[in-house]
Amino acid sequence: MNTLLRIEWLKIKNYGAFKILSIFFAAGIVLTNYAVYAFNKNIIGNTGAGAVMSSFSPYSFSNTWQSTSYATGYLLILPAMIIIMLITNEYTFRTSRQNIIDGWSRQEFIMVKLVMALLIAAASTLLVLLTASIFGLLSGSSFSLNRFSHVGFFFLKALSYNMFAVLVAVLVKKTGFAIGLYFIYLGAENFISQMLDILSMKIKKDSGTDLGSIGDYLPINAADGLLTFPDNPLKSLAKAALPTDYFWLVLAFAVFYLSLFIWWSWKKYLKADL
Amino acid sequence: MAILTVENISKNYGQIKALKGVSFSVPAGCVYGILGPNGSGKTTLLGIIMNVLKATGGSYKLFDENATDAHRKKIGTLLETPNFYHYLSAVQNLKISAAIKEHGEHDIDNVLHTVDLYKRKDSPFSTFSLGMKQRLAIGAALLGNPDVLVFDEPTNGLDPVGIAEIRSLIKELSAKGKTIIMASHLLDEVEKVCTHVAILKQGELLISGPVKEVFQENDIVQVAANDKEKLKNILLGLNNFTKMDEVNGVIELSYNAGNADLTSINKFCFDNGITLSHLQLKKSNFESKFLALTN
Repeated sequence: MNTLLRIEWLKIKNYGAFKILSIFFAAGIVLTNYAVYAFNKNIIGNTGAGAVMSSFSPYSFSNTWQSTSYATGYLLILPAMIIIMLITNEYTFRTSRQNIIDGWSRQEFIMVKLVMALLIAAASTLLVLLTASIFGLLSGSSFSLNRFSHVGFFFLKALSYNMFAVLVAVLVKKTGFAIGLYFIYLGAENFISQMLDILSMKIKKDSGTDLGSIGDYLPINAADGLLTFPDNPLKSLAKAALPTDYFWLVLAFAVFYLSLFIWWSWKKYLKADL
Repeated sequence: MAILTVENISKNYGQIKALKGVSFSVPAGCVYGILGPNGSGKTTLLGIIMNVLKATGGSYKLFDENATDAHRKKIGTLLETPNFYHYLSAVQNLKISAAIKEHGEHDIDNVLHTVDLYKRKDSPFSTFSLGMKQRLAIGAALLGNPDVLVFDEPTNGLDPVGIAEIRSLIKELSAKGKTIIMASHLLDEVEKVCTHVAILKQGELLISGPVKEVFQENDIVQVAANDKEKLKNILLGLNNFTKMDEVNGVIELSYNAGNADLTSINKFCFDNGITLSHLQLKKSNFESKFLALTN
């Protein structure tokens, strides 16, 4: 695996788009979280909402793990784009053929892409860890590992986004189409998910049956659903009307879909004409 | 030892049958030409052997063993197009090829000299001309000095000087005892460099074997007279020709090269009471044989 990764590194270390998107992503994490941090601290504090929200500090420990993970989750399309480009490039340049011709097995080729997706998810999680710690310390609270599980949920979400990117790239092969399809799918699923959640709320209101957030049972929303903004006074007000989050069920769905993305990409690459 | 043995390989793209049960064997040390018009299945066949395409049926062996990834590492291959990372330089691309093949890293400068790209070694691949890309692909195939080379249309995109260079390179490699498998639609190319040939047409193998046997040179004698039926009967009395055909109303007699003797044919006919209105010697060359086979 070391040899495979070393070769992968030779491919990407001089790839401009990889560097630029990586910098965007890293800078984006800091800026996004700073925006939420500053919004909470300065704006909410100075308006009427301050009365309700004054006790809420999203970036102190142990809220910071949850807030950072939640806010950063919206940026995960950037590493997904990197992954799509790294794979579709191989089709565009026809190096997906040449690597096999030169002696890689198909398993090695797709394996190293999946491992890259895993490593990029791990690196994203590490950035979240650092950002959460720094903002936590800036908030003047003392270090705590409570709710650290949300960093784990972030890792799962990053994995899902990345493995879904691998799947789309392997199926679509063309860079523009793949990125376009990825965004359209995310948008469409999000829309359907919200509709389903509204339906669930209506069912709960009308019949009292609580189906949970059924929108979270969809492939990408399952991983999204595990990450939530920390409980706060405003959120508590709405809570009564919302369906219950069946945590373990959503987690099971997320893991199932993640496995499906990996399995499908693997199968597709082993069988296809390149 | 056979370097490559292909057994009954077929490949369908939906309804289209790109290869229909092709079998042949490539002996060690030869220059094996796979010849056929565009779309005859040459690249498909090589793609299957290189594991980038999946055969619908049949099997193949490399070095007399069931083919593995390790076998491909020992073969230098240029398949269809030069496939490189556009944003990387020639050297960076070759480093990747060498790393995958697990040999040849120290060979990079060497092969860049061989294909005359050393001066451009640090330029990005995207800035190369078509001919330079093709030469880089040949260079990549030469990394690690493999004993077997597979070249698919190796002179594609090259200028006349480049073509001559590549052909002499292939001859040089062959003289060093390398086995070369080469696909081409250029008859001239196969004639000039190959020792063996397999001819494909619409996915079917028409003939295969040593070039001398496949393209055996023939003398063809065209004969005509007013009474064609009588002429035919009389000509049957000649026993030294190999084949008699009727082409466009003219009778054609085939002889092994150098065996046709117009004087004696004329005399034989005259003695048997028929006067010829047409008598001509035609050499069958490589090209007419190829056209005869593929048309």
